[in-house]
Amino acid sequence: MRTLYYLLREAWVNLRTNRTTTMVAILTTAFTLACVGVFLLLYVNLRAAAGWLQDDIKIIVYLDDHLSSDARADLEQQLRGDHAVAAIHFVSKEQALGEFKDQFPSESHLLEGLGQNPLPASFVVTLGPAFRSLDAVKRWSERVQGMTGVAKVDYNQDWIDALAMVIRSIELVAIGIGVILSAAAVTIIANTIRLTLLARRDEIAILRLIGATTGFIRIPYLLEGAVLGGLGSAISLFMLKLLYELFRREMRTSGKLSGLDNLLAFFPMPLCLALIVVGMALGCAGSFVSLRRFDEAKA
Amino acid sequence: MIELIRVSKQYDRRPALSNVTLEIEKGEFVLLMGASGAGKSTLLRMLIGAERPDDGQVFVYGKNVTALKQGDIPYLRRKVGTVFQDFRLLAKKTVFDNVALPLLVQGISAQDIRRKVTEALRAVGVEHKRDQLPMVLSTGEQQRVCIARAIVNGPVVLLADEPTGNLDPGLTAEIIELFKLINARGTTVVVATHDPQVMTQVNRRVITLSHGTLTPEKWVPA
Repeated sequence: MRTLYYLLREAWVNLRTNRTTTMVAILTTAFTLACVGVFLLLYVNLRAAAGWLQDDIKIIVYLDDHLSSDARADLEQQLRGDHAVAAIHFVSKEQALGEFKDQFPSESHLLEGLGQNPLPASFVVTLGPAFRSLDAVKRWSERVQGMTGVAKVDYNQDWIDALAMVIRSIELVAIGIGVILSAAAVTIIANTIRLTLLARRDEIAILRLIGATTGFIRIPYLLEGAVLGGLGSAISLFMLKLLYELFRREMRTSGKLSGLDNLLAFFPMPLCLALIVVGMALGCAGSFVSLRRFDEAKA
Repeated sequence: MIELIRVSKQYDRRPALSNVTLEIEKGEFVLLMGASGAGKSTLLRMLIGAERPDDGQVFVYGKNVTALKQGDIPYLRRKVGTVFQDFRLLAKKTVFDNVALPLLVQGISAQDIRRKVTEALRAVGVEHKRDQLPMVLSTGEQQRVCIARAIVNGPVVLLADEPTGNLDPGLTAEIIELFKLINARGTTVVVATHDPQVMTQVNRRVITLSHGTLTPEKWVPA
């Protein structure tokens, strides 16, 4: 217990020894991690948006114009029996025409000029939650496309593919920037720990001579790194939350994109805690780098 | 207890120790004499694994120090107390905390630490200074604290590198008496010094190093 108290106290003394450097390191780490956080927040929200779109996805199965009512009933039976299908709704040619006229009243004369209703009958299908991923929708559509009596299967493929590409791009950018800025955070913390190590090198030499193990010597510095990284991460989250709230307020007051205001979300609490743990891990990594270099220099 | 077999060490092609072979028995008090640069410190540092010989083997308390893994060296050092000319006390820690340090690194309980530190401070006569910082102590008292830290573990061997180098003749005699007391309790004591006055006060086995080589031993019975 006394040893634990000693190690914790030493870590605290280390933090106090270079107060200015410690503060600068925490703030620099906070700004660095906040930059990563911006991309992460964007990524999390776009992923959520993609999720809502996928939940809302409707697949339209257009039928052959010459399909008999018995064949249509058979097809409906088959589709209803499909384990991927959660709901199905038939839209007749007449209903389709009515909907077109409702949606585009100024263009309705174009269809009237054709003499007959060119719009096909269709089934509007909603897939079960387990089958709403882009790949699953694509596979299901391709399978149904081959069924007798089906003219075409349509869903907002282009739109969803474009969103998926944007998400993938942001994911890649977030990973790239995350790796680079995390390495920067590790370097910042490593340099701070190096200063502490230099300030206390005589003490470390004494500890070695009286039989302290490498682990015993390293623990206070690893704790110091963890505190620097953890605090930096916590402050970065605080800054992000502040920016996020300012952004939402701006959206509400300006009226621009006000509909999206309620759809935006900050990191959930478990993710916030995970990010603080990541910050602590980066801090420990920074300390470890400095300790290794310090040991190599002494060897 | 301590055995060196044909040990050699060079720094930048300059020999610090050349083909040194010696044996020190358990419970002996040995003076390691020699001028500055004779190789005394190198020899002591080898005994605690702080230096590795270029050739030869070093045994301490049955352990082949030359073959020890880096991770095992701290455990060797816990059996060997070390006293330095410059004391090497932590300026920001009290006398008590300085002496407690070798026990803390071993994870000894707080109760045992209090007992052992008090005993060690009493043995060297600075128990009343336990709450003071080293800087406010006299050089003699600082050396006593350094000795207390070296013996608080109950080491099997006590190594002292020029322990009287910063002390006046009166204090030197006091410190030598302290080493004799520690030796009388069964601890093997090796004192490295260049000071001939110490030799006259100790009157024990003297090993002399000159330019890294051993010269014929003197033996002055106690």
